[in-house]
This record gives sequence, structure tokens and C-alpha cells, in this order.
Amino acid sequence: MSVSASIFILILLAGAGFFFGRQRSLALVSGKLATLHSLPNQYGWYVGILMLLPGILVILLWIVFSGNIIDTMVIASLPDHAGPATEQARALLLNDIHNTAAGAPHSGSSEIYIQEAAQRYSRLKSQGVNIVSALVALFAVIGGLAGFRTIRPDLRARTHVERVILILLILSSVVAIFATLGIVLSLIVESARFFARVPLAEFFFGLQWSPQTALREDQVGSSGSFGAIPLFAGTLLISFIAMCVAVPLGLMSAIYMTQYSRKNVRKVVKPLLEILAGIPTVVYGFFAALTVAPFIRESGGLLGLDVASESALAAGLVMGIMIIPLMSSLSDDALTAVPEAMRDGSLALGATRSETIKQVLIPAALPGIVGAFLLSVSRAVGETMIVVMAAGLAANLTANPLEAVTTITAQIVALLTGDQEFDSAKTLSAFALGLALFGATLLLNMLALSIVRKYRESYE
Amino acid sequence: MEKTPKMQATNVHVYYGDNHAINKVSLDVFAEDVTALIGPSGCGKSTFLRCLNRMNDSIASARVEGKITLDQQDIYDPKIDVVQLRARVGMVFQKPNPFPKSIYDNIAYGPRIHGLARNGEEMDEMVITSLQKAGLWEEVKDRLEAPGTALSGGQQQRLCIARAIAVNPEVILMDEPCSALDPIATAKIEELIEDLRGRFAIVIVTHNMQQAARVSQKTAFFHLGEVIEYGDTADIFTNPEKEKTKDYITGRYG
Repeated sequence: MSVSASIFILILLAGAGFFFGRQRSLALVSGKLATLHSLPNQYGWYVGILMLLPGILVILLWIVFSGNIIDTMVIASLPDHAGPATEQARALLLNDIHNTAAGAPHSGSSEIYIQEAAQRYSRLKSQGVNIVSALVALFAVIGGLAGFRTIRPDLRARTHVERVILILLILSSVVAIFATLGIVLSLIVESARFFARVPLAEFFFGLQWSPQTALREDQVGSSGSFGAIPLFAGTLLISFIAMCVAVPLGLMSAIYMTQYSRKNVRKVVKPLLEILAGIPTVVYGFFAALTVAPFIRESGGLLGLDVASESALAAGLVMGIMIIPLMSSLSDDALTAVPEAMRDGSLALGATRSETIKQVLIPAALPGIVGAFLLSVSRAVGETMIVVMAAGLAANLTANPLEAVTTITAQIVALLTGDQEFDSAKTLSAFALGLALFGATLLLNMLALSIVRKYRESYE
Repeated sequence: MEKTPKMQATNVHVYYGDNHAINKVSLDVFAEDVTALIGPSGCGKSTFLRCLNRMNDSIASARVEGKITLDQQDIYDPKIDVVQLRARVGMVFQKPNPFPKSIYDNIAYGPRIHGLARNGEEMDEMVITSLQKAGLWEEVKDRLEAPGTALSGGQQQRLCIARAIAVNPEVILMDEPCSALDPIATAKIEELIEDLRGRFAIVIVTHNMQQAARVSQKTAFFHLGEVIEYGDTADIFTNPEKEKTKDYITGRYG
């Protein structure tokens, strides 16, 4: 008997409960539906839910707490000489027992007491599952009987069922909120650990970024300095280049699409532009690294310029292209939201189309366009794949777009790729960078949304 | 003595795709009169009005046939610049549509795009006169920098009329200018139309027959895209020739 089998049986039982509850409600009024408070199906659901809920609760409790309880029981049953002295020894011991029980190869000693403990572990576990299954079935039967017996024509089954559904809906949104909170909290906690080792001032104002810390005393080339300014500067440089591409192109394409293009042109071009938004950023990344960067390097060479093979320019240009659809479709929305009456009013005064666009439509849509701009910036700042592949990892503090720079996101990838020890300043600095990035994009998004919201109100 | 019409429509047909919206309409608009277009909803009055300054151009499916002249000149002639035409034939819309700019800039918009003022003083002058002509000056003279959208509905509509006047047009088209306003604001707009009569040829579309009787000298009754009857307002309302006109103005249908 496994947990999944008992879930299956529970669902079958609840299904039967649904059927009988429905039959019972119909039988009670001998088919005269109007005398029932709720629909027959709702009586069915009522019985079904009464059977399901306690069972689900028991299974959840089992999943959450069983591991700890069984572990404690197994450790307590160990012979005195084998009892672990420290927390770490206990974890190692448990690991051995789990692995032995699962029949997996393990590093621990195959001493006899471990074998015994493993057997005991398996036995406890299967006993536990059996108890849980029995409980689930018992509760389902009790719930079903209680539900079945309480069905009366005036029982408000619909109210009860809808309350359960409401709670389910609330729980779903709570999950999303707690996931966000959890992520933010973990960022903050890990960053706090980082800032315990590296002072805030060094991180936010230091000009030197080289996160290699010495593992041994005599190691060379590992200064371990954590000044994040070169990363912030690199991020800003690349985002700036990206916005130089995305803003004019996105805005102009939005103007063309909303004001000049004919309906059938728009019908083709707009979806095409949206396909651009669907290209995975990895693809943009190798487009930047393999096509654009060499091209820039060669054309720079023809002009006598020294271009790094991984330049900020290449990454920024490609990132700009990636952001065009976002900028364009948000500006498109902003321009479309300007009432037709504005345009007609201006045209009726004898303004040309371009005068109308420049002097009435864009000013009217400006808050929306600014919102689009800020959302695009936050997209550029948070973009990772393109910069990892095309911008390089050298933390140069430079404003020259032909040199290689690195960004916050690219550094986080570099810091956390591969095997890492999670208590060195090097690894922890990734969390501090993540927190800085999160703070920046959160601010930008909040600003953008508040501008967009303010603008929505102005026409209503 | 026979007066020459300011605008003259001869056998005008308008199609929206396959929909024949206006059928053979001929109508004269005289410079010194207010001409009212009345009729039930969907009868084509607004469509016809929008032909007079070619606002239908921006609707891709609309097609206009026939001849409309302004001072004997065909306005659908390819040589005519639609921008200049609209400077001569202004328009006020059903819902007040001030630009999201200051009151001053709303008025100055037209003169600016047409380069009517040589300097700031002339522009100020133009804004003030337009507001005065539209009867809005006293209400807004202390807050010219306030946004036009902050005014009340009736004030906004008078702002839109002032905006149209500022370009100094010859004809002003009004498409149900009072339908979004309360009776007091409506009365003010009607007074204003009376004041403006003679300085501009005015064509007004209205649902409100009392309004047509009050403000206009000529009335055209539209029905199903055709002009059923056109003549002096007094005649149309007291002694209509056609049975349909009589039925409509006495409220038997519509």
C-alpha cells in the first residue's frame, strides 16, 4: 500500500459519495427539483467534499511530518554506542540509513547497526503508510455517512460547496504571494550573510570587482574585492545601448502601426513583431555572440578601431532588438488608448497627420509611452542570456561600448555556475547582486505601473 | 435676388463598403444662415456633415460620389489640399474633445499649425478674442494654464468652439454639439450659435427638433440617407410639404 494508491482509493470513494449524495437528494424529493434548495449535483459535491477533505488533510500531514518522526524514532532505537554526538553526525548517519534502506550504494560503513536501523526505517515507513491509508478510508466513510445522513431538501449544499471553493481560490493566491515572499526573504537573508563579511560601502561604492577568494592562505591572484560599481556601470551601459535601439524603433513602428498602416498590413506585421518577442533569449544570445559581435569587430577593424570580441555594443544592439516588440506593443496600446475624438479634433482643425501625431497623440499618450520605456529598461537590466553569451565576464569600468564589460546578471550566472560552497563571500555576493537587481527592477516596475495607472484615469 | 450658396452639394452619394449611406443628396448652405440637419438616428445626417470637410477621408471603407463645392470650387478635386479645406471648414464634435493641454494651448493649437500669429502678442490676442467670441473668456481668464479637460462639459464644448473659431474658418460644422450636455449648458451653446450667426456659415446636426427650430434659419429633414424636405425652418416646422416630415416633427415616429 503506497500513498498514491490510497489517494486513488480516496478519489474513487469520493466519486461514489458524489453519486449517492446526488441520488439521495433526488430520492428525498421524489424528483421534484423545485423543492430542493440546491441542485442535485451540489448535494453530490457536498458529500464528495466531506469525504475528500479529511483524507487530504491526513495525507498532507503525513507528507510534512512523517520524515522527521520516523527519523527520530530510528535514531532513538540505535544502540547507545552508535548514537550520534553532534547535529552533523546525526545527519550523516541518517543519510547512511536512508541510502541503505533504499538499497543505494553509499559511503557509510555497513555496520550491523546501520543495517538494522535501515530495516527498522523501512518497516516504520510501510507501517505508517498503512495507518495513513486506513485513516483516510475511515474518515472518508465517516464523512460520507455524515454527509449522506444530513441531506435534507432544505440543506444549503450550494452555500457549503461554494465556501470550500472560495477557500481553494484564496489558498491558490496565497501560494503565489508566499512564493514571492519566500524568494525575497531568501535573497535578504543570504545578502545579510554577505554583508556580514563585506562592508556595504565596499559593495556599493567599490571600483574593483574580483570575487575570487583564497581557499588556502598561500593562493595568489585572489584578492577577493567586491566593489560592484563596474557591474552597475556595465549593466547601465548595455541597457543604454539597448534602449537607444529599442525606443526609437519600437516607438516609430508603433506610430506606423496605429496611425498609418492599413488594416491588412497591421494584421500581418503586428503578429510578426510579436513572434520576435517569442524567440528564446538564448537564440538572441548566440546571434549576438556569433554574428553581431564578429561583424562589429571586423567593421571596427576596417575603421581602424580596436573592438573587443565580446563588446558591450554587440550585446546592447541585440538586446535592443529583443526589446523592440515590448516597447512597440506597449506604445501601440498607449497610442490606441488615445480617444479617436482627439485625432478627429486635430484633423478637423486642418492639422496634417504628422502634426496630429507629434502635437496631440504623442503628448496624450506620453505617460503610457514613459511606462513602456521604464518596463523596457527593467527588462534590459534583468536580461541575462544575451549578456552571458555576448558581453563577457571582465569587470571593466569603462564607458567605451567597444570594450568588453560585464553585468550584474552575467556575474550572478558566473558566480553560481558549477559546484559552489555556499558560505564563501564569493558565492554569497551573488545574492547581494540579486537583491540589488531585484530592488532596481522593482522600483522601475512600480514607477512604470503607477505612471500607466495615472494615465488610464485621465480619460475616464 | 438669388443668393449664392457658400457650400453646395449636388447629387452626393456616400457608401461605406456595400452600405449605401447617403443617396443623392443635394443641399445648399448659405453664409449668413444656420442650417440644421434633422432626422432619426442612422439617417445619414452626420455622414453628410462629415463630407463637407472630408472627415470621411480617414475612414478607409467610405466612398463619396457627387459634387460638393465651397465657393464654387469642388472640394473633392484632387488639386484641393484637404488640410487647407479643413482650415476653412471647421468642425465641432458630438462629445467635447479638448486636447490634453492647457486652455491656452487648446486655442493656440490651430493658429500655430497654420502659422497665423507672427509673435506671442498676436497669439495672445487671438486666444483672447476666440475665447471672447465663444463666450468663455470671463469664466477662464484667470486660469488659461489649467488643463482644458478640467473644465465642465459645457465649458469644454465652448472651448472646442473657440478652438474652431481661432483658425478663422468660413464654415463651422457642428455634429450634435449639445447631445452630451445638460439643459443649461445647451442653452449657452444655443445663445453662442445665435451670436456666431452671420460671421460664419453654420451647419448643425441635431436630434432635438426644438433646438433646430430655435437656432436655425434653414432645415433639412433626412430620412434613410435621403433629404425628404429642405427649406426655411419656419416653413418646415409650421407647414411641412411632405407627410413624412410632418410625422417626424410631430413625433409620430423617429
